[in-house]
Amino acid sequence: MRISQGLWNVIKREVRLLTSRPIYLVGMTLVPLLMAVFFVSLLGEGLPKKVPAALVDLDHSQMSRQLTRSLDAMELINITQRENSYNEAIAAVQRGEVFGFFVIPEDFEREAVAGRAPTLTFYSNLTFYVPGTLVFKGFKTMAVTTSGRLVQTDLVAKGAPSQIAETILQPMTVQNHPLNNPWLNYSYYLSTSFLPGLLELMIFLMTVYAVAHELKTGKSAEWLRTANGDIWTAIIGKLAPQTLIFTVIGFGMNALMFGWLHFPMNGSMADLLLGMFLFVIACQSFAVFVCSVLPNLRLALSICSLTGILAFSIAAFSFPEQAMYGGIAIFSYILPVRWYFLIYIDQALNGIPLYFSRLYYVALLVFPILAALAAPLLRRAVRKPVYVP
Amino acid sequence: MKGVLNDIKEWFLETAKVFRREFGMVFRDAGVMLFFFALPLAYPIVYAAIYNPEVTREMPVAVVDNSRTAESREFVRHADATQAIKICGYASDLAQARRWWEEKKCFAVIEIPKDFSQKIGRGEQGVVQFYSDVSLLLRYRTFLESITELQMATDTQLRERALNTLGVAQAGEGSGIQTEAYFLGDPQQGFASFILPGIVVLILQQSLILGVTMLGGTSNDRRRRNGGTDPLAITASPSATIIGKTLCYVTLYLPLTIYILHYIPLIFAFPHIGEIQDYFLFMLPMLISSALLGLTLQFMVSERESAFIVVVFTSVAFLFLSGLTWPRYAMQPLWKMLGDIIPATWGIEGFIRINNNGAPLALESTPYRWLWWLSAAYFITAYLVTRYKTRHG
Repeated sequence: MRISQGLWNVIKREVRLLTSRPIYLVGMTLVPLLMAVFFVSLLGEGLPKKVPAALVDLDHSQMSRQLTRSLDAMELINITQRENSYNEAIAAVQRGEVFGFFVIPEDFEREAVAGRAPTLTFYSNLTFYVPGTLVFKGFKTMAVTTSGRLVQTDLVAKGAPSQIAETILQPMTVQNHPLNNPWLNYSYYLSTSFLPGLLELMIFLMTVYAVAHELKTGKSAEWLRTANGDIWTAIIGKLAPQTLIFTVIGFGMNALMFGWLHFPMNGSMADLLLGMFLFVIACQSFAVFVCSVLPNLRLALSICSLTGILAFSIAAFSFPEQAMYGGIAIFSYILPVRWYFLIYIDQALNGIPLYFSRLYYVALLVFPILAALAAPLLRRAVRKPVYVP
Repeated sequence: MKGVLNDIKEWFLETAKVFRREFGMVFRDAGVMLFFFALPLAYPIVYAAIYNPEVTREMPVAVVDNSRTAESREFVRHADATQAIKICGYASDLAQARRWWEEKKCFAVIEIPKDFSQKIGRGEQGVVQFYSDVSLLLRYRTFLESITELQMATDTQLRERALNTLGVAQAGEGSGIQTEAYFLGDPQQGFASFILPGIVVLILQQSLILGVTMLGGTSNDRRRRNGGTDPLAITASPSATIIGKTLCYVTLYLPLTIYILHYIPLIFAFPHIGEIQDYFLFMLPMLISSALLGLTLQFMVSERESAFIVVVFTSVAFLFLSGLTWPRYAMQPLWKMLGDIIPATWGIEGFIRINNNGAPLALESTPYRWLWWLSAAYFITAYLVTRYKTRHG
């Protein structure tokens, strides 16, 4: 049949093109794989423990020394230096040596034992969010437990029965259950969002490059002829090898995270892989759509780079889209990676029934439809290629 | 002697010619101008617009109240009053609350057990369960803060009542010691205030490298079309070429640097307590080393548009390597070393501390020295690359 022969010819031509220059294979395979290894290795620990912190002890009493030892023993904090004053500690923060410090004021033990409630101050450098908040968490826990111990001693001294004194300290407590990531492993949330985002970026760039480079070299008419004049055969044939490669890479990323590294997979891997396949097709469709509307290699690459990089922020991996301004949050929905991320959260992280993610899968299917609708525009540009540098 | 002086004069003339020609090349190239000017002008505004709300508030939470007493209702009212929580409704049981969570109607569930009131009345500990969605850690962290404060406030209140009943005098204000927390650098704990000062520095480096590599790729394109030589290039020694070009790029970036490092934090009310002479002087070696890094990377960019494929994805990698999202002290030696050779890593480390923590340049000597050493190192690599290109065409 003419169409399938044309399809096969385009595929053969494309494979020849892909292997003619290193940039294709580097961009399609090496970059995503290296970045995958980079991310999972960098974030491997899950939580950066042992934040360097300083201590300013102006009291030099037994209680302050006990506090210091307890602080240092905490998993999250590493007391790396003692400073003699607030100013010296601030200078240490500014030099980047520590991410926070504790100040034990003068006469601390005396005031505490006398019941005059001295103030313990801690300064946490939130310039660096992650270590800053971890230092704060460590300090707060230590302060609360120390405070509790002092109150207990005081109450027992004042005549409260000792077993009741314990519950009086904390009459009620809230038990936190972080669902499906009780370790609060940052990697489970950073790797699983940034890797698909990166894959999306590379798919955008490589697809645009493959399609629009034909316009630059002026060989696009020959490409269309190989497809027997049918633009859809031309596009599908050209992108088929890339779809295969990117799907394999995507599956490989998922295998690395959920198989090798045992990321939380509370649903079915097959559902996630289906999502990954649809995601690859959606990204390619987005790129083809951009090429159809802007048949210029540089402009299409610019638009796709812009969208690809902004995707890391707009797709709401870190900052929730409910908190963004409405007009901006809307843009998160034109990105394939947002839908894939929502599928990941529902299916892999939370393992809820597939029914609740049905709209996300459908959304991924909208992209190829859009690309198909814009195909006539691409056809026009391909017939008469114009290169504007 | 005269020959040497003549050579030196020639060298300066070549550098000047390259410097002048490079301005012409930049201003005649729409693509490069997009990178050099539009990107640093627009990106910070786009990013700031995305993160400007800075914090997430009033997230919907469902309540499963099996106790239905005055204490449990008071607790729920107080929970609703916290910044993070907005009670979206009472679910009849945990299964219904779970259904709401699956439908994204709520992001957390508060479950109050049947014996909550009785336990508190009897002097035992009442336990409330809080199930939180952790798909976005910022949500969980915000919840945690509110829940912790709520717990401490409720504890204090209940403790007062219990102690009054027992007739025991209170110790101080209910706690043995006071604690006060101060956040340096980002006192409002805003997301944008933390990430934008770092991202703007990275934008400076990446836009510079993109523009420089694109110029190199365009030159290669012209070379291919003209049978081996670029008609618009000035014949000059490699060092003159590099120094002339670098001077041009750094000059172009000086006003952009002021805009990005001074006006953007002012416009969006980010922390901005550094002195301008400190961060401006600090940025100078970063611009120089970024330009030289761009000139070095030109060997990887064989045509104009390859710049995109080679450079764009590195933005993500460099953001992580810089230590902004994941601290450098917690990185393996390999990644730490890789981060060391990237100008933006030191640029971000130093600029953030100068800008957010008010550090003087004197305290940022480590990043500053590294940036100058990187400039020297990249000068050598750029020299080698340029010499190879002029020799082998």
